[in-house]
Amino acid sequence: MDDRTIVIALDETVTDADIENLLAAFNDGKDPDFGFEDLVTGTDTRYDERFNRTTPFLTHPVFNKHHAETEMLRYMNKLQSRDLSLVHSMIPLGSCTMKLNATAEMMPITWPGFAKIHPFAPLDQTDGYRQLFDELESALAEITGFAAVSLQPNAGSQGEFAGLLVIDAYHASRNESHRNVCLIPQSAHGTNPASAVMAGMRVVVVKTDERGNIDVDDLRAKAEEHALHLAALMVTYPSTHGVFEESITEICSVVHKYGGQVYMDGANMNAMVGLCRPADIGADVCHLNLHKTFCIPHGGGGPGMGPIGVAKHLVPFLPGHPVVRLDGRNEVGAVSAAPWGSASILPISFAYIKLMGGDGLEYATKIAILNANYIAKRLEPHFPVLYKGAHGTVAHECIVDTRVVKQSSGIDVEDIAKRLMDYGFHAPTVSFPVAGTLMIEPTESEPREELDRFCEAMISIRAEIKEVESGEADKQDNVLKNAPHPMNRVVSTTWTHPYTRERAAFPAPWNQDFKFWPSVARVESAYGDRNLICSCPPTDAYAEVEAQTS
Amino acid sequence: MSTTIKHVDAAIPPAESFVPRHVGPDEKDVAEMLKTLGFASLDELIDATIPKKIRWRDHLDLPKGLTELEVLTYFRALAAKNQVFRSFIGMGYSDTVTPPVVQRNILENPGWYTAYTPYQAEIAQGRLEALLNFQTMVSDLTALPIANASLLDEGTAAAEAMTMSYALKGKPGKEVFLVASECHPQTIDVVKTRAGVRGIEVKVTSYADFKIGPEVFGVLVQYPATDGAVIDYTKTVDSAHAADALVTVAADILSLVLLTPPGEWGADIVVGNTQRFGVPLGYGGPHAAYFATRDDFKRHLPGRIIGLSRDADGKPALRMALQTREQHIRREKDEQRLHGAGAAGGGGEHVRRLSRAAGTHAHRASRARVRGSAERRPAPAWLHHRPRRFLRHHPGRCRQAEQPENHRRGAGAEDQPPLHG
Repeated sequence: MDDRTIVIALDETVTDADIENLLAAFNDGKDPDFGFEDLVTGTDTRYDERFNRTTPFLTHPVFNKHHAETEMLRYMNKLQSRDLSLVHSMIPLGSCTMKLNATAEMMPITWPGFAKIHPFAPLDQTDGYRQLFDELESALAEITGFAAVSLQPNAGSQGEFAGLLVIDAYHASRNESHRNVCLIPQSAHGTNPASAVMAGMRVVVVKTDERGNIDVDDLRAKAEEHALHLAALMVTYPSTHGVFEESITEICSVVHKYGGQVYMDGANMNAMVGLCRPADIGADVCHLNLHKTFCIPHGGGGPGMGPIGVAKHLVPFLPGHPVVRLDGRNEVGAVSAAPWGSASILPISFAYIKLMGGDGLEYATKIAILNANYIAKRLEPHFPVLYKGAHGTVAHECIVDTRVVKQSSGIDVEDIAKRLMDYGFHAPTVSFPVAGTLMIEPTESEPREELDRFCEAMISIRAEIKEVESGEADKQDNVLKNAPHPMNRVVSTTWTHPYTRERAAFPAPWNQDFKFWPSVARVESAYGDRNLICSCPPTDAYAEVEAQTS
Repeated sequence: MSTTIKHVDAAIPPAESFVPRHVGPDEKDVAEMLKTLGFASLDELIDATIPKKIRWRDHLDLPKGLTELEVLTYFRALAAKNQVFRSFIGMGYSDTVTPPVVQRNILENPGWYTAYTPYQAEIAQGRLEALLNFQTMVSDLTALPIANASLLDEGTAAAEAMTMSYALKGKPGKEVFLVASECHPQTIDVVKTRAGVRGIEVKVTSYADFKIGPEVFGVLVQYPATDGAVIDYTKTVDSAHAADALVTVAADILSLVLLTPPGEWGADIVVGNTQRFGVPLGYGGPHAAYFATRDDFKRHLPGRIIGLSRDADGKPALRMALQTREQHIRREKDEQRLHGAGAAGGGGEHVRRLSRAAGTHAHRASRARVRGSAERRPAPAWLHHRPRRFLRHHPGRCRQAEQPENHRRGAGAEDQPPLHG
């Protein structure tokens, strides 16, 4: 605190012996002339009544009925069994790269040598982490072609924000702090404009053409119009449409010509590793979603990591930290509370890189592209593939268009997404970047058999839609509009639908071997938003929902 | 074997290699898939896909791949170079016991960690329930009715609180955010970073020196303070509300089982780290920050919120609520669900015991400090209201002061139409 005071913090793991050791440490290593017991008896552990909590908490049954480990184990397993994850099937979410999170990569994160270290522990006690950061940073620099990497941003969105701050600080260092216009293509990830606004920039939208590519003429016009204030372009590569745009180098040089910096969104890095590099293409900054390309699991929504790589001229502006000095990186303040973000999950990404080696990483990228093209090829006779590159191929993901069947049958993309659950699959990305479409990203980790199974499910769904188109199936009461079919509905005494229970819940041959059951029928979102309940409701609230709907 | 197969052979490392475990299709599959696509080799497919002028003709200069056994040996050596000591640092991070039943069955269980964000609610009811438990726990402990399903860290949560306060109360002439110097230094820094580029002026002083005029839209205080002092902020709350400013309290969530929760003394927003509820320190993360607020502000809450709704059969069902709000375009905000389940096993009484244990040790230790240095006034950290300036000085690094305000102000997120849903 100051030169006379130290503050010590204690927690539930501290023992009496720890306190005695601490006392000895301040007494030249010798036990002081009073013992721990003297302290206990001599200390008033009451605190001012003003601060005394009097209200109850955690009274809901869920917090009070799993005290025995048996109960806890079963409760956790009950919850787990309701969720579809990679242990069941592929999760072909476009732009999310749901690849293998290998067990060997995951093992180190709970080892005490990584898990039990305080973020502000003295640097000379954390040589292992230091080596990990150094080696991981240089591997990521090699992969992206950049001069340096900051591991601080602990999410992709945080990486975007940090990258834009770096660009902002760079402009300011050249007395050009008036540069605050950020160009963002129509097809951008939603986080891009949000980050630009957060970084105090003004968003100017650039058009994309009918093939999904950035309209270079519009880009040039907007860059020229805002030449004086142009700060940056945020561009995803390969594009959010899953295509390697031919014009990317031209796009970068237009932005540079008008004094802007190129921010590359690395969400689609899985299509690039070992085959092309953001820095070589012309990017100045790029964030990497380590929870996509580099195997950190999605964990049901987090945590992730979003480190940024920067070109040489931007290195001095990387984020610093107020407690732990990061050499030569103090121009931009901290973006995360901890100096290296979520440090303890970095071993996952680095283990992946070490396991694959340079050749393996390059091979994985090629297979990711092969898998996506294979799916596109197999599905194309049934659903149009929306965007392709100059030579008729896609990158690591493809967008299939379901708007055609909406017109002919009334079946929309939501119905298809929910019907996939009956087949045992998680839907691809729905209605992004184009409404009424599905974006499919298989990743390199899915075997051909799983790709075929997914394609067969989609093809079978197309046949089900044909029945609606032809009038053979009812326009409303059909397997698609009623999807998904939970077990309680299928086994109920009353069954009024014009199709069989077997078609409803066991539409594919593999369902006979293994069936993943959705635990509820299609969820109505609007109802819950009108009657917002955001904490565990009393049991009678559940009864109310049923009463109101019956 | 055809030439195609030979080419593929050349690309695949030997059998003990990890690569064939990570990559799904085997050589035979690859050959057949290429045939389906009409390409003679993988490289031909790649050449057709990646534009010539950006195709990198070099290869990654990284060491050859290791086997799983070799990698685990390597990481054991790395872990051994980190020295695990009893830490007394605090500052928002506390060592904790991860219940083994949670460590093995959630943290180390692919059935939990390989799931995606619960957008497809029908096949995500399990983790949605865990997240609802988390929200309920936060809401109970802070005594505020609405909580989200977590943010990245305490600093980010405090910055989000500032942004939310600004959206609710800020206007020209009302753009000052007061931050108590009793807050954790990293929280102060993250808040400053976020404020600087938004045209918000952050003033850091002791809470006791706060001057809350009409130019102030919000204040941030820490409870207990970074040095452990338990401070009565009721006067600060009154002056802030009198000036139409919102009060954010960064609180140690474990302390709230013994201390009057901020929701009961007027806080508008309460944020903090939930790490000490069983999540390993991990040299900084990942942890989950909590964020709770009053009912009137629920539609301004950042991050994801889980809520109860119903399914097509009228049965109760959970899903992410209010997806049409701003949070939807910021969907990358990460969250954690470990805590919900962890707390579910603990229950109120258990948590209270933990807190008492931590508190008791704190009293003992602070007493020891008093004895150890006789000149210090006897002011045990946990016991008394002890207004004192936080001595570590952090000069402002906000650049907005140097820049005309109108340059820095972008369109607010709420003014910016989402480019897509």
